[in-house]
Amino acid sequence: MVGPTASLSPLVRADGSASYQCPSTGSNILGSVNAPVELPGRRDALKPEDATVEVFVKPGTAPASVGERYVEGIIRGVVGRLILGRERGYQRRGVVITLAIVGGENVSRGDSYLTLLPALLHTALLALLSASVPLSMTFSATVLSVDAAGKITREPSAEDAAAAKSLHVLAFSSKGHLLLNESQGAFDFDTWERVRERASAICHGTSVGEDGDVAMVESADGQPLEGTIRETVEDQVHRDYSWKIDAA
Amino acid sequence: MNKEAPLSISERDFILNALREDVRLDGRAADQLRPLNVTFGEEYGHVKVQLGRTSLIVRISAEVTKPHDDRPFDGLFTIAMELTAMGSPAWDNGRQGDLETYVTNVLDRVVRHSNALDTESLCIVKGVSCWSIRADVHITDYDGNLIDAACIGIMAGLQHFRRQDAVVKDGQVIVYGLDERVPVALNITHKPLSITFHTFDEGKKVILDATRKEEQASEADVVIGLNNAGDVCFMSKFSGSGVDAMVFVDKTSVALEKVKEINAIIDKALQADLSKRAKTGMLEESRAENDRQPELEV
Amino acid sequence: MSSPLILLPGDEIPSEYLPSSSSAPLRLGPGLRLLSQPPSSKPTSSTPSHVLTATQAGIFTTDAKKNAVSILSSPNRRYIPVVNDLVIAQVHHSSPDYFHCMVTPQAPHVVLGQLAFEGATKKTRPMLKQGDLVYARVLSVGLGAGAEVELTCVNPATGKAEPGGLGHLTGGMVFDISNGMAVRLMRASSASGQQQQEDGVAGLVVLDELGKKLEKVGGFEIAVGRNGKVWVDCSNGGDVAVKATVAIGRCLTTIDQHDLVPADQKKLVSRILREMKIEV
Repeated sequence: MVGPTASLSPLVRADGSASYQCPSTGSNILGSVNAPVELPGRRDALKPEDATVEVFVKPGTAPASVGERYVEGIIRGVVGRLILGRERGYQRRGVVITLAIVGGENVSRGDSYLTLLPALLHTALLALLSASVPLSMTFSATVLSVDAAGKITREPSAEDAAAAKSLHVLAFSSKGHLLLNESQGAFDFDTWERVRERASAICHGTSVGEDGDVAMVESADGQPLEGTIRETVEDQVHRDYSWKIDAA
Repeated sequence: MNKEAPLSISERDFILNALREDVRLDGRAADQLRPLNVTFGEEYGHVKVQLGRTSLIVRISAEVTKPHDDRPFDGLFTIAMELTAMGSPAWDNGRQGDLETYVTNVLDRVVRHSNALDTESLCIVKGVSCWSIRADVHITDYDGNLIDAACIGIMAGLQHFRRQDAVVKDGQVIVYGLDERVPVALNITHKPLSITFHTFDEGKKVILDATRKEEQASEADVVIGLNNAGDVCFMSKFSGSGVDAMVFVDKTSVALEKVKEINAIIDKALQADLSKRAKTGMLEESRAENDRQPELEV
Repeated sequence: MSSPLILLPGDEIPSEYLPSSSSAPLRLGPGLRLLSQPPSSKPTSSTPSHVLTATQAGIFTTDAKKNAVSILSSPNRRYIPVVNDLVIAQVHHSSPDYFHCMVTPQAPHVVLGQLAFEGATKKTRPMLKQGDLVYARVLSVGLGAGAEVELTCVNPATGKAEPGGLGHLTGGMVFDISNGMAVRLMRASSASGQQQQEDGVAGLVVLDELGKKLEKVGGFEIAVGRNGKVWVDCSNGGDVAVKATVAIGRCLTTIDQHDLVPADQKKLVSRILREMKIEV
């Protein structure tokens, strides 16, 4: 299993940015965050004491339509819960997240965005970290497909996803909370439970068995996604502060 | 607040005074481009253009559709550019500004109206089906001269792109996958590019490839679109103060030189990508053969 | 500190990293917050009732003198005004009592009192117009949502422009740099001349190097704003004033973009001065 690759702050003008590639689904996302900025015409926002989070998803080779609006809502829901919008400087301001699909298959009109959703979520998170937007915690997400035989595939390609019986996107916070559960297709509760366990293992690298034992499953799924995110950030911090770290 | 922060008086005066001494902020000469880097992605028609601190990604895509009723022999070609908050915090998502309208219009005229892409070659069945080619321009960093950078990206993308092969059999259109049949390159009739000039000091100083700060400090801009043969396909002076007619005459020859220079850079990048593809393609073929006859190898 | 402590939002700060000293209260800088811990099921005397957690990604740093802790986060982030920061502001418009200025683009204007200048009275206040630049200190940032940020060009206690140089910046040129670079430049410029370290201050030798090389052409003036702007003026430079200013700007922005180490900074200075044909 080849894990995703990511980099922080590839762009110059935006306050924060990230690029993210997932080889198994073939997706390649570029994300930017501008925050805190003044949002024109929205001064009487619904929450005057909080920041307003805006998410914009730009498809690579087609005009944006309902599919993008739908997935924007999901992303806004997840990151909106983590952003500390009451911190100094953020109240009544906007956090503008822009995600462009710059590589890989396009989601055809009317199709769900579930296969791309984890990549979009990770890009948004990394761009927020790059812009130093205050967050309560981080998260990691994955997409799993279940075929007719009940076999679970991690981060399926477009063809596998189309052939699957059900698709599931799960996101876990760095504290282990289940942050997002989006499913599509027919499945029973046992299947979902298996999916959740596998997803948790992919994100955190550990799965808690029924007897409470913590089993390491790193070998099967490579490095847990949480670790990939942390390493990406650490690499960038080392680059940014090499003048300080080398001198010490 | 869909606006870049205005320049301060100090910056405006300094840029002008420096130009009077023929000095630019990045040490370039008046007729010198910023470093240009054109790279291609894994997919056909995926181009990344880096011009100084301005960067963008162009993606070309194709789908089968129905031609317009009044032009049954023509395929479709669209250039789509949307300025998002990614390129500059001054741009609003989902709201079209003046800059977006202006740049889209110029790109349309330089590339599309000059018939750089032969749309008749996109026809599959007269009046029934044709290819629709779409160029999506994603601005990732904005530091001036969007028009020229986007033009470079679109033209490089069109030359790099390969569409799926389609044939008509018994009145049915069959589209073959990229791995089933050798994909087809687009029919490019000529390679127009735009060169944008900005004027200062009552038209006495003219520079090309301005940065964002230089654009803001300038009096007027002049865009000249032409191809390697020197055929001028577009010329505009959209706004700002007056420009002497001789500037157009003088600068057209400078523009021709620059177009040749840029087209050479694009050609070189295309060649490099082609040979890279040929190499990996051969590797894959040989690997496939090895897979089939493992015993013979040993 | 051989391996720095790099934190992500939500990470707890291990107690051994906190300054253990003194009775003085710990000061929390940006990127940190204090959370009260839910009473654990196994109460032990050693579990503290509060934990420090990070809200931004970056390096955890402690300042023993001030007994303060903070997180050094991305140097490219957007500037948010903090009291006592020095900034370069641009006048946007003026009202009877205030100049309304821009410190960060796409952010609300900040205000600067018409009389908040050294020696200003109702009759002698500076007449600043749109587009003028001022070097100012952040006086207050207000509380709560929609609070206004106020600047001043004078120390309210003494009535003097302290440190020197606060006020209207005339002529010169402004270059954009990252936030992190601005902090480093400020430390380097305030320490320059005092101590001659081989590696410079904050990893920067560029100012000393430029100062040495440009001495003959009359030297230069520099003002660094925390908001990612640096103002440079070489008006004593005569014929090469413009070229010297451009050279300084190019040196600073190039070092910022490419994270050059001290040895490369020296090479860059020589190369750019040669390119700009400045005799040193």
